[in-house]
Amino acid sequence: MTATDFFSLMPLIIIATAAVIVMILIAVKRNHSVVAGVSLAAFALAFLSLFRITAVTPHTLPPLLIIDNYALFYMGLIFAASFAVTLLSYNYLKSYNFNLEEYYILLLLAALGASTLAISQHFVSIFLGLEILSVSLYALIAYVRTWERNLEAGLKYLILAAQSSAFLLFGMALVYASLGSMNINDMAQLLSGANLGPLALIGFALMIVGIGFKLAVVPFHLWTPDVYHGAPAPVTAFIATVSKGGVFALLLRFFVAIDIYNYESLVIAFSVIAIASMIFGNVLALLQNNVKRILAYSSIAHLGYLLVAFLSGNNLSVDAATLYLTAYAITIMGAFSIVSLLSGKEQESDKLEDYRGLFWRRPVLSAVFTAMMFSLAGIPLTAGFIGKYFILSAGVHSAKWLLVIVLVLTSVIGLFYYLRIVVAMYSAPTDDMPSQPGISRSVSFSGVLVLAGLTILLVWFGVFPQGFISLIQNMVSSLQDVYLSMIV
Amino acid sequence: MISIPMEFGLILAGTLFVLGLIGLMVRRNIIFVLMSIEIMINAAGAAFIFAGAKWGEPDGQIMFLFILAMSAAEVAVGLGLILQIYHKFQTLDGDTVSKMRG
Repeated sequence: MTATDFFSLMPLIIIATAAVIVMILIAVKRNHSVVAGVSLAAFALAFLSLFRITAVTPHTLPPLLIIDNYALFYMGLIFAASFAVTLLSYNYLKSYNFNLEEYYILLLLAALGASTLAISQHFVSIFLGLEILSVSLYALIAYVRTWERNLEAGLKYLILAAQSSAFLLFGMALVYASLGSMNINDMAQLLSGANLGPLALIGFALMIVGIGFKLAVVPFHLWTPDVYHGAPAPVTAFIATVSKGGVFALLLRFFVAIDIYNYESLVIAFSVIAIASMIFGNVLALLQNNVKRILAYSSIAHLGYLLVAFLSGNNLSVDAATLYLTAYAITIMGAFSIVSLLSGKEQESDKLEDYRGLFWRRPVLSAVFTAMMFSLAGIPLTAGFIGKYFILSAGVHSAKWLLVIVLVLTSVIGLFYYLRIVVAMYSAPTDDMPSQPGISRSVSFSGVLVLAGLTILLVWFGVFPQGFISLIQNMVSSLQDVYLSMIV
Repeated sequence: MISIPMEFGLILAGTLFVLGLIGLMVRRNIIFVLMSIEIMINAAGAAFIFAGAKWGEPDGQIMFLFILAMSAAEVAVGLGLILQIYHKFQTLDGDTVSKMRG
């Protein structure tokens, strides 16, 4: 390996080293604040190192990894989200009195796995990244093990994620058997518009099942509500942003590279998945009475929207998908921050009743939560609106009318349940409300920091999107250029 | 030496995979569920070896080593979780543990 190779892997090295340092620190002396501080510093350093690396991109480490601007953008997203999750977790875990420090090792490793996914271009690295991410998540989800719901969520995630890994692996094996290469670029050249053989087709179908589970799209979504509901709120935020972001980055790279739009069967499969996700996600969210479950079903719908961007298959689609994912990550992180700030050892404030009349007791928190709900619903002046606008224009541009119409109609349904939460917050408080210790707890400095940062980003993105859009266009357009040049 | 065509190997791997999947869906005991998943993962590993043999490359076997290491990590976490669940619920029946609905 050359010095440039090491240099371009700097963020991953920083995160991995931090995980080891935290382990040693725990062995010397347990101190929650120090460990959380080291993790924060690691995420911040890794994020800053990305700016230096832009000088050497695109850089390939054959055959496993490729570091291009697209990967750097997704890594930035992953590190920023992990930074916010660390702050939230510090706040959330403080009230517990068991061993908290190992949590941060798992968080660092999960972020490492997700960023490996963003730079993978080979089945081996995809598999390793995915497994580092999932195995850390099993333990993170079940971390508060005194809680029954927590263990149940951990077990459900373990079984479904391990099973989906098996599907993914078997699919990879079949693709390898039929094409003779595990490198995405070689595969792209071997395929280059030729018909898929039956073996490769089955292989891709199994891989779609595996990836579909990780992204929680219909019909592979069954674990989502239970895991979102049962996991500690900061971990739920992590799953919704980092884990899905990493897997989506991979999916996008893979399918741009092999040029999925040439294979009608794959496009149809993804269109069906997208439509089903939008419809089921939004309709089932209507029936829920728990904020975490509502957000879980809404995440299924949002992944459906993302697939619409990705399926439009013109030069807008990668930009639109990334833009939407960024907006969604900011928003959902904000929403789960509020849930996690209101929760604690006493109870998890996730029932809709917990939020009834919240405005009269916590006006600022309610205002922020309202902004997040508006953004999820795609109301103007928020990040969500800009994201949805770009997806729609990508869809309209390539005349995917069915997808666009379903997107618009289901967004209207979505508006209803987001507003249901908002209405609950602003309704007048009644006297016979149960006492909620979590609701009245004051918000710590770290919590204020996360919320303020996310709210500013949300509104800024919504009101002055130009800067974000040109940043994303600069960063991710490289993806298509890289692969187009390779195919030609 | 007689060489066995790859398709035979893939059929064997596919059969194992389906057996594992059936076990996953039929079994209620969590330990058996975990074992079924292991069978599925190892079936995929076997398929990799057959594919690698077809192309005359070591890649398939390398992938199998990774799979082996990963499934060991997975089982370690899984068994730890199962231990906790047994402490809490005094049962290993998946349906009893599953309380969240909707």
